[in-house]
Amino acid sequence: MDVLWEAITDALGLLIGGDGETYEIIARSLRVSLTATLVAFLLGLPLGMLLALGRFRGRRLALAAVNTGMGMPPVVIGLLITVMLWRSGPFGALELLYTPTAMVIAQAVIAFPLVAGISAAALQQVDPDFRVQMEALGATRGRALWAVAVEARLPLLAAVMAGFGAVVSEVGAAMMVGGNIAGQTRVLTTAAVLETSRGDFAAAIAFGLILLLIAFSVILILTLAQQRGRR
Amino acid sequence: MTPPLLELEHVVVRAGGRAILDVPALGLEAGTTTGVLGPNGAGKSTLLRVAAALLEPTSGRLLLDGRAASRVRLRAVTSAVLQRPLLRRGSVRSNVETGMRFHRVPRDVMHERSAAWMRRLGIAGLADRPATSLSGGEAQRVSLARALAVEPRLLLLDEPFAALDAPTRGELLADLREVLADTGTAALMVTHDRDEAAALCDRLAVLHDGELRQHGPAAAVLDHPADPECARTLGFDTVLPSRLAERWLGEGSGEVALRAVDCQVVEDGDERFAHPAVLRRIVPLGPVARVVVEVDGHALQASAPVPVPAWLQERGVGRPVRIHLRMEGARRLGGSPATGETESALGSAAHGRRQS
Repeated sequence: MDVLWEAITDALGLLIGGDGETYEIIARSLRVSLTATLVAFLLGLPLGMLLALGRFRGRRLALAAVNTGMGMPPVVIGLLITVMLWRSGPFGALELLYTPTAMVIAQAVIAFPLVAGISAAALQQVDPDFRVQMEALGATRGRALWAVAVEARLPLLAAVMAGFGAVVSEVGAAMMVGGNIAGQTRVLTTAAVLETSRGDFAAAIAFGLILLLIAFSVILILTLAQQRGRR
Repeated sequence: MTPPLLELEHVVVRAGGRAILDVPALGLEAGTTTGVLGPNGAGKSTLLRVAAALLEPTSGRLLLDGRAASRVRLRAVTSAVLQRPLLRRGSVRSNVETGMRFHRVPRDVMHERSAAWMRRLGIAGLADRPATSLSGGEAQRVSLARALAVEPRLLLLDEPFAALDAPTRGELLADLREVLADTGTAALMVTHDRDEAAALCDRLAVLHDGELRQHGPAAAVLDHPADPECARTLGFDTVLPSRLAERWLGEGSGEVALRAVDCQVVEDGDERFAHPAVLRRIVPLGPVARVVVEVDGHALQASAPVPVPAWLQERGVGRPVRIHLRMEGARRLGGSPATGETESALGSAAHGRRQS
């Protein structure tokens, strides 16, 4: 119990005390994971739309593939991205390995199938005639699709939350492609791993608690947006 | 002569290897309401979707004001109400404004029009209510206000009253009739209810198996079915094949259609007016009982009063009965509907037989 108590006071100390390095790690965690979520949403929503509303050969197979991707272990994706970005790999020339950009790429790849799969399910919940009705009132195809997305906004926000929740808390890919370099690619999860391996449980738990607090805050904001107008 | 608002020329829609819609020619005049009648699967909704530019025909063309109608032109002047009121999340007002937003109506005009249409359709009191909290009838009113607020030249209605209970349907029907008359909006209404069609439509088109079988002024179409399928759609449940009609009604009668109420089962009667048949089945449904009888292998729909008379109840299936045809209600199929010649020809034939 002492360790836990110490951790909580440590965490509060880190948060309130204004430790510059801690703030930096928090900010980087947020920046990397939010950017990755945004990228995953911008790519995942159109794919989800295509899978949910499109009619083409292989649609169900593609949907199954995306749904499988939801359960892809981050370590596998981290490994894949590392190989791609490795100096001698296909994108080695870009010199992205061990940069925050590499972390964003890896996390976006992790969140992408989650966002696409949940979006597809969300959009399929809307009555298929709804889009027809919007077009019958004069909407262009694009406007009608947008109206369907707006109609499914609650489950679409759930897709965003699932994506953010998955990437902000993952450690495998962040560690592999980021390298946990202090001041450059260290984020809350990798910092917690480092402190644990050093035997500094209090610091590790403190990072863990801060991570939890941040994840909760972001999800709370999204949930409030989702449930606006409801008690 | 001004061309019709919308004309369909040789419009065919194919799906799954067969034609689900085949309309050689159909014109929708400005300011008139055209009803599309037909059984389920007749292609009624397909026709509506073609007219709304929601479905591209496989072949044929549409003319708007006499000129080829592109999707954009057609969408600009039409607006549709589908069978189920598909409302968006949000308030009633925002729903009524949806179509106007798509048409980029300026905001102040939009607010004015939505308020006016909500008043017109009796939903002004619901303006701020969430659309999800409405009853079926209220939701359909919102759907109707939403389509009318666009101020279309052609309003397309796909069985808009099908899911409503009778009193709600009656009220909404009356309101819609007034609105269409006041605004002079042309309408195309798909329905399988001929009473609705008779109440609202100036002209009628009858579809069967995707084919346009008959169209013309409502009264003429309702009274003069073109063929047996049209006859059934128009409520003439009994179609006498020409062999029977000629035997009973005289040479040259052709196929004759009657409503079940004009074909009554009687216990006995003058052989000249009451024809022998075999009882097959009694269905006591509605104000008269439906009685299926068989003559020479043809099943005919007849009727009997409710409560079903004791003699009929006691007469078992397969036993003989007689049917009496009321000639006033008989219509020769394929007769020229516009002249009404069918009715008089048959009427005189029947009179001839009665007097003989």
